[in-house]
Amino acid sequence: MSVHNSINTGKPITVTIDGKVCKSTFGKTILQIARENDIYIPTMCYLSKVQPIGSCRMCVVNVEGVDGMILSCQEKAVDGAVITTNNSALFHERQNIMKLYDVNHPLECGVCDKSGECDLQNKTMEFDVDTQEFTARDQHRPVENWGHVSYDPALCIMCEKCVRVSTEITGDEALKVKFGGYGSTIINVKQEKNYASLGEAAAVCPVGALVSTAFKYTSNAWELTKIPSACPHCGGGCQMYYEVKRDRIYRVTNEFEFSTLCGAGRFGFDYANEGVSKDPAAFNAAVEAFKNADSVVFAPQISNEEAMILQKLKEKYGFKLVSHEARAYQKFMAAYSTVTGKHLYNGDLKTLSDSQAVIVLGIRINNDSPTVKYHINMASKWQRARVIYMHPMEDSEIQNIVTQFIKYEVGSEEGVAALLAHTLLEGNEDVTKTLREYLDDLDIGNLSAECNVGEEELDALKKSLLKKRGFSLVVGSDLYMHPRAEQIAKLVALLETYAGFNVICVPPAGNAMGVSLICDLDDSAEGKTVGYNVKGDFTLSALGDGDLDMPALNQQEGTLTTVDKRVVPMHVALPYGGYVLNDIANALGIHAKYTIDYTPMLPVAKGFKKTVFDALDEYFDATGTEHRGYLLASQKVPVKRTLDEIEEIEAFDGAVVYRCDPVEQFSPFTAKSTLLKDEPVMLGSTQFAAAAKLQDGDTITFEIDGISFERLFKIDTEMKGTIALNPTFDMGLSASLLSSYRFSRLVFRKTNNENIGNNDE
Amino acid sequence: MGLEQFKNRNVGQQNYVMLDLEHTPETGMGKFRQVVRRTFKAELFVGLWVTMREMINALFKGQMHTVKYPFEKLPISPRYRAIHEMLRLLESGHYRCIGCGLCEKICISNCITMDTRYDENQRKEVSEYTINFGRCIFCGYCAEVCPELAIVHGPRYETASEQRASFSLFEDMLTPIDKLNLQQEYDGFGAVTPNADENIKKTPLAY
Ligand code: SF4
Ligand code: SF4
Ligand code: SF4
Ligand code: SF4
Ligand code: FES
Repeated sequence: MSVHNSINTGKPITVTIDGKVCKSTFGKTILQIARENDIYIPTMCYLSKVQPIGSCRMCVVNVEGVDGMILSCQEKAVDGAVITTNNSALFHERQNIMKLYDVNHPLECGVCDKSGECDLQNKTMEFDVDTQEFTARDQHRPVENWGHVSYDPALCIMCEKCVRVSTEITGDEALKVKFGGYGSTIINVKQEKNYASLGEAAAVCPVGALVSTAFKYTSNAWELTKIPSACPHCGGGCQMYYEVKRDRIYRVTNEFEFSTLCGAGRFGFDYANEGVSKDPAAFNAAVEAFKNADSVVFAPQISNEEAMILQKLKEKYGFKLVSHEARAYQKFMAAYSTVTGKHLYNGDLKTLSDSQAVIVLGIRINNDSPTVKYHINMASKWQRARVIYMHPMEDSEIQNIVTQFIKYEVGSEEGVAALLAHTLLEGNEDVTKTLREYLDDLDIGNLSAECNVGEEELDALKKSLLKKRGFSLVVGSDLYMHPRAEQIAKLVALLETYAGFNVICVPPAGNAMGVSLICDLDDSAEGKTVGYNVKGDFTLSALGDGDLDMPALNQQEGTLTTVDKRVVPMHVALPYGGYVLNDIANALGIHAKYTIDYTPMLPVAKGFKKTVFDALDEYFDATGTEHRGYLLASQKVPVKRTLDEIEEIEAFDGAVVYRCDPVEQFSPFTAKSTLLKDEPVMLGSTQFAAAAKLQDGDTITFEIDGISFERLFKIDTEMKGTIALNPTFDMGLSASLLSSYRFSRLVFRKTNNENIGNNDE
Repeated sequence: MGLEQFKNRNVGQQNYVMLDLEHTPETGMGKFRQVVRRTFKAELFVGLWVTMREMINALFKGQMHTVKYPFEKLPISPRYRAIHEMLRLLESGHYRCIGCGLCEKICISNCITMDTRYDENQRKEVSEYTINFGRCIFCGYCAEVCPELAIVHGPRYETASEQRASFSLFEDMLTPIDKLNLQQEYDGFGAVTPNADENIKKTPLAY
């Protein structure tokens, strides 16, 4: 799959490891080949998903004809090599390494969180360390609490996995090594930010040094039942395990060797709708409400199967089915596919992380899709990728990976897409004649002025792509909700078709992608409505505040569709005593015993497979290949490449707000999670405050799409420009009613009262 | 690491004594003679005298042998496994349990349930600890596995209760702080062996 990965482009080689003949390709390390062939080589610092660290020396092997011991995690295998992974000298070497690790290591396995799954414990036993000959003067190393995670330097073995994850994977770059011989420690240089992404650094820690603060000392690892699932928050569908004991989720872990979870997935797990019992009166009312409904409006935080049930109900009862974000995405992808001829975008995350140039357009990537941002970060760290970030607002959180920031005017996305297509398709010979004419006819000077994107910026962009291989383009929901979304989609699609870009159209929320593929959505609701996780005349809610309770996504089985175009299973982590959507469907004459009976019925025409739920795999193999669910099959659609004139750009003057949640907040469900504590405040720069005549600490009310917001305004000194960030994660059942373009002019009323604005003198 | 050293508990000394018993007669005549001898020896009165002596001793000399259970109880072997006790550290008075959860894990009848938390002093605190004595089979595994000699078997063997489930809380089993001076070190199941010192290997120190 990964065409750009130099590892896979090597020529075939054969090596012998412990007498076993192993076929592989050049470019792989001895350790990788051994693991591919189920040969065990002990490691302490090796983490498959980052570059070899080489700090432990446990992975030493002997190679015939080479003096001394070789680090198998770093050394590439050469054709014909004969390798021994274990003999008494190697054992002794490894035993001594373990003895050194054990010097002054506190004897606190009895209380340590890691006990039972600790690499140090395991390898100390494995290498028979029953006496200690080494010694060093111990030092006082107090525990440090960094917020989401805490660090105990006394337990740290300085393997550096956490630092590498924070740098190469999540890209928060918060953890650093403070060198000092035996006194070396890990330091958090961005403690004040309290990055939830550090949860991933804690996950890879082989010992109990870096742990989740909330989980610390609450349970032994062996008491917890691991329930495999997929994170439902952002549409990433990342692999995760709920770790459960006595009907409570204690923590979330993952297959950290190969996959990554963002802070929301890791810490946002306690949103279950608890203490629900069956209320037949409410249930009957719900059934009646469905019968009489003119529209069903729902939030995209549902499973594929639930979406399927809603679609079946629509077919039977003929109501309108409305889910704004998913609908916008559906229309965007429909337009997109008329150019590419395939119903899905071609991109995937693995290829993204192998790219040498990445363009990000119309998405605040760090907030909207952490997992996509992590893959861009990997490309930046491993491929030294050029990252061109195009957005009306600069984002200081990603300035470490962005090599070129191109700021455009709010609302000018169509023009920007046209400029991009024009620049990147210049001189391209595959382009059809009509398209060439269309591109040549574009008034570049005018567009560039209207979008406020300089031609020299585009030239620089173009130049920086020279001599690079592997291009990715990531687009997001600023485009889907744009009034000219369909035209933008076609322009973006040109880059997939003609410029060889790996394009990812990041799903806007929750399972919006699954919903957009399964449901036949309508543009707007009318008449009597039933809302599912949305306020309606009759409301079904997994948040516990509706007319009938529904299970939250960690209380039900089902599948999700992810940004990687994969259909992945979720399992029940917590019990639920009430009615589910399938019960309503049964009462309405659409019969199925379980919700997951719909898994094999998902539309094959949209790339789903007829696999039954219980047959879906959930694992990574020894080489790190993902076997979770299945990949959506690409479907052909008729091609119709007609592009319209670029429309005049409507000017957004004055104070503008951008709908955007804080990092690692996505929905009312993450908002319900106690470990993710974010204030729903409107954040703006000093410039914005001046433009809107606001002061830090003012409370304002305003309306977007008929939904009224009350917000405390705060000045963020790291921000620039006249656009403020307006979160929606706290809006509960109203959050998914928003349907317009993400930017809007701010027309507000100040509602400061004496009690609130007491600090402005 | 072998287990031999752990198996050598050196508990108890065996001092057997042979009793001097007369031979059992084998012939019919021999049996007859034994009966006649015993009949005319007036052994009945020997027995009555013993009873009389004990009565006098009990009533007038204060040497009563009856144990007035339940007001009095006989001492019981340290290896007897009765209702659990939670011991405290003698120096600080803090409870010994570190919340490692090994007793909970090993318990064969799943009757130990516990919860722990991270406390203000950065210690692992036992926030919840119960044993359901209705289920406990007094196997002693918990006392044996405990690395801190915190959970031990006490001498209280009455386990009758009104309900099948009968829970004891941590506080119920913990040595009362004002009786800390009376806390007995435990010699039973899981206690350190008398020769533990000999088995210790020293760790080198840099200073
Ligand atoms: S890090 Fe491992 S070896 Fe160290 S105390 Fe914890 S469980 Fe024991
Ligand atoms: S905190 Fe953990 S992962 Fe980080 S260096 Fe120490 S032992 Fe390794
Ligand atoms: S004595 Fe045995 S059954 Fe009773 S609590 Fe201990 S381990 Fe469990
Ligand atoms: S084994 Fe001992 S120290 Fe561990 S939890 Fe049980 S009583 Fe406490
Ligand atoms: S795994 Fe090779 S040096 Fe640590």
